Amino acid sequence: MTRGLSWRSFDFILLGAIVLASSFGTVMIRSAVAGNEVLQPLILRQVYFALLGVVLIFLVASVDYRYWLALYRPIYLAIMIFLVTLTGFGQSAFGAQRWFQVGVLFLQPTEFAKIIAIVVLARYFEYAQHQPRDLKWAFGAVLWASGIIVMILLQPNLSNVLVLSVILAVMLWMNGVQIKHVVSAVVIGAIVLASLVALSVLGVRIPFLQAYQQERIVNFVVPDPNDTYGNRYNVRQALIAVGAGGVFGEGYGHGTQTQLRFLKVRHTDFIFAASSEEFGMVGGVLIIMSLGIIVWRCIRAAQKARDVAGSMIAMGVATLIFFQGAVNIGMNLNVLPVSGLPLPFISYGGSGLTALMLGIGLVESIVMRHKQMEF
Amino acid sequence: MSSGPASRPVRFEAWRLSAIYLIVFLALSGLLLRLVNLQVLQSSAWAAQAVDNFTNQVSVPAPRGIIYDRNGYILARNLASYNIVITPAALPADDSDIQRVYRELSELIDVSVGGPVTDESLEAAKLFAACVPGPGIAQMVALQDTLAPFSSVKVKCNVSEEIARIVEEKSVDWPGVEVEVEPIRDYPTGSLTAHLIGFLGPIPALFEDEYRAKGFIPNRDKIGYAGVEDSLQDILAGRNGLRVVQVDVAGQEIRNLEPPIPAVPGHNVYLTIDTRLQAAAEATLLEEIRFWNTYFNTVRISSGVIIAMNPKTGEILAMTSYPSYENNRFTRIIPSYYYEQLSQDPRKPLLNNAISAEYPPGSVFKLSTATGAINEGVVGLDDIVQAPGQLLLCERFNPNDVCADSNTRPFVDHIFEKRPEGFGAINFLQCIAFSSNVCFYKLGGGYEDEINPGLGIERLRQYARALGYDETTGIQLKGEQDGLIPDPQWKRINTGENWSTGDTYIASVGQGYVLTTPLQVLMSGSVIANSGKMMQPTLVREVTDGDRNVVPMWFNPTDFTVTEFETEGSYQISPFVPNTRWDITVDPLIQSFSCDDVYCSLDAENLKIVQPESIQAVRAGTRLAVTASLFGTLNDLFGDFPIAVAGKTGTAEYCDDVARAAERCNFGAWPTHSWTLAYAPYDDPEIIVLAFAYNGGEGASVAGPMVERVIRAYFEIKAIDIATQGEPPPGP
Repeated sequence: MTRGLSWRSFDFILLGAIVLASSFGTVMIRSAVAGNEVLQPLILRQVYFALLGVVLIFLVASVDYRYWLALYRPIYLAIMIFLVTLTGFGQSAFGAQRWFQVGVLFLQPTEFAKIIAIVVLARYFEYAQHQPRDLKWAFGAVLWASGIIVMILLQPNLSNVLVLSVILAVMLWMNGVQIKHVVSAVVIGAIVLASLVALSVLGVRIPFLQAYQQERIVNFVVPDPNDTYGNRYNVRQALIAVGAGGVFGEGYGHGTQTQLRFLKVRHTDFIFAASSEEFGMVGGVLIIMSLGIIVWRCIRAAQKARDVAGSMIAMGVATLIFFQGAVNIGMNLNVLPVSGLPLPFISYGGSGLTALMLGIGLVESIVMRHKQMEF
Repeated sequence: MSSGPASRPVRFEAWRLSAIYLIVFLALSGLLLRLVNLQVLQSSAWAAQAVDNFTNQVSVPAPRGIIYDRNGYILARNLASYNIVITPAALPADDSDIQRVYRELSELIDVSVGGPVTDESLEAAKLFAACVPGPGIAQMVALQDTLAPFSSVKVKCNVSEEIARIVEEKSVDWPGVEVEVEPIRDYPTGSLTAHLIGFLGPIPALFEDEYRAKGFIPNRDKIGYAGVEDSLQDILAGRNGLRVVQVDVAGQEIRNLEPPIPAVPGHNVYLTIDTRLQAAAEATLLEEIRFWNTYFNTVRISSGVIIAMNPKTGEILAMTSYPSYENNRFTRIIPSYYYEQLSQDPRKPLLNNAISAEYPPGSVFKLSTATGAINEGVVGLDDIVQAPGQLLLCERFNPNDVCADSNTRPFVDHIFEKRPEGFGAINFLQCIAFSSNVCFYKLGGGYEDEINPGLGIERLRQYARALGYDETTGIQLKGEQDGLIPDPQWKRINTGENWSTGDTYIASVGQGYVLTTPLQVLMSGSVIANSGKMMQPTLVREVTDGDRNVVPMWFNPTDFTVTEFETEGSYQISPFVPNTRWDITVDPLIQSFSCDDVYCSLDAENLKIVQPESIQAVRAGTRLAVTASLFGTLNDLFGDFPIAVAGKTGTAEYCDDVARAAERCNFGAWPTHSWTLAYAPYDDPEIIVLAFAYNGGEGASVAGPMVERVIRAYFEIKAIDIATQGEPPPGP
């Protein structure tokens, strides 16, 4: 008996959904970068990362997640050092410092930081599970998260700050935060959000927000109908791509919006639009459904976990995948403002994919060691 | 197993988990609904936008037709002009290579490289239109790169062929740099034919939609602004081709979506003009004007016209209007300084005086009075008319007005100063030949019992209109004026006065309210020369397509449309056929005139012809002007001419704004325009020439010599053509 290890409990449905999603992702990236010689190496790179990711899943799954929980201090320290260095020396791309060059690879520590934040928070809720659910308990969690959140905010990378906040909120929620605290948080949050939107629309500069971020908010809230070639261009092209796809799509490699490059950043932010154009509603529904299945399997793992920490890790990974996916698809369908969040497992991005695979590995580790009646 | 019942798997509060599941479910359902809405319900609208994105219509410019003279000498053609262009997307990938290309190109074409591309330098470069020197190469390319990287930007326009060739040779070393060949209009005869050919200009904003509907591209395609370039725009322009292509986001063409429609080149037009005669006419006009202006040491004659035509066919052989302008200056752009200069010149160089200016015709108008008087029996061929030096005639506004000293004034003959006794007793032919004002006062207005009644203004107007006055001729030039032949009703409406007897007298000699264009005067003479036939004056001899096949064409002067079939009111211009507008000896055009006591009226129902004998009598009068050695107005000029010439002179008093401003409108000493009209040979006329000099003075001494020289040139050219067996050498 090795601490309840059972490959029989390994979630092959989850693994299958992920292998399918990332395979589809590489296929779609190939179509999206067709005709752009500079981007050709990305296809193979994504394949390598996907293969590496699957190996990682098995490696991480075979290790008890509790080891990582025990090592939370050095891990937390390491990622903070990374993030601090990044803020100081990272390569600034598109106005934000997010990249870290290691040899020929550009690494995004932020992606890994999110997984680490989940682990650290899970450790906290495990540790504090018997405390009363008062403000002190809640602020303890906020304190642990805020170290990473502040560093990401300084990059600045608002979308990932939002991702971490949502993960934190879901964890608080699941651990029984009091409803009155939720209500006050929601009210405060709504006021802050409303004033952010109002100030942005009125054109007031807000510290911590980049000009382009405020512009995006304005463009989403009050789109300029005459602005067909300005900031709304990308979103509009995505809508055309999705709409033109119809039920069965224009065919792989035959989407005019994608292949003639009217659709921008089509291998990352707008890969959902590219897929929906070439594979139509069938493709779009399959992506949303696979996202749903992955999230469902992760929540299922959270339910089965043998301790609070395991539950929280699985719940955190589920939240991470769901939130990023929904926000990305929502942006592609113009129901949410533009953000840089990629579509999990499908968008191009080595760090993001690897980090997510790590997360899935943790989930598998949890589900394999769940408390069960097995004879 | 270390875990006991105490550390059972943590069970969340079920409702909290349900809330999570609910949120996930709602969010994903919302996205699914949105997806279905976009891809099923709105799909066709979005698909249309996708098609709109990648579909581009490319207009293929049609080459404009070439304009020749009657002998095939080129009057307007398309020349290649070379522009150096850069396609940003085709430049080398390496920045230092780009800089090298810029440097080397800059040295060759003398346009600065432009230094670093900064926001300020780009803003400054945006202020310059294409082809205007100023911005550096780097700035122009950077701007184009943001607009349409696969379309080229003009870095330098109109470079020499040598530079163009060097750039072509360097194309391997300078990727992205190309030579663009732009067709521009060239007029080898320039100002000589500027009034006839005209020039091209951009499509005005007002008509953009109209021309766009015809497939023109504003800001690229040009349209005619004057001359036949304007009036024959329909056939010269051709039809632009169209390619519907698929393009990517950068504008690069991927493939044709539809079979391309090729451009149809414009038709070529052969004019009736003989450039050699045109050159002779212009030289004559310029020389005569220069002579008199030098003689008087002032700008005395400010404008002039010479027109030569074949009276039997209506072919205009030469038409010059002074001052002219240089239409080659308008070929690329219409330079504002030059256009300002032309439009502010009081002599109006842009106006074709031959058709667009109205002047009193003076004695050349006597042909109308003479035709009417002889045809109406006001005077017989053998009747003798007393022509003293001056007549005392009274001005009556009503038949009952009493003649008294107060309303009586002298009407003098032009010979009065030299010979106070006048021409004496003369017959009808001599009246014409001597151009006796007194005789024509009597014929037009009547005189006591000698000529009673006179022709009268109503009947004079009928004959003037039969000779082509008071309406446009319908020649293929825009801006033609119709002149004015007054009648009592016109006077009452326009001046608020009754018609007076004096008005009739002076109208009889082409003065007073009578206004005509030089072309109308020429046409009236051609009706006499041609024994009553009014031909359609035309500038077009033939229209050919790109394969040199003659294309049948009809021209409609009312709306300036050219069609390949006959329409209401149109006449055939290609292949050439002489078009007879009317023959006054055959077509009843003259309204009969009857008097019931003092009330006289025209009867529009009862029309009659002009008797051939009447025309022959007037013709004989014009011949006598040459042959009568004593008083014949054209005897000095054509008496010894080897070919029988006939004609009529005119010295028309005028008092326009210019003369009034110069205080030259003194009674009895008004300034005069100089007119002369002559045709030859008398028996079978093949050439009729009209010369006009604004403020020229006496017709016979200023306009007359010009007519003589042009007729002489005509027969010399004809002799050369016969000698070279009908193969005329091209051009002057």
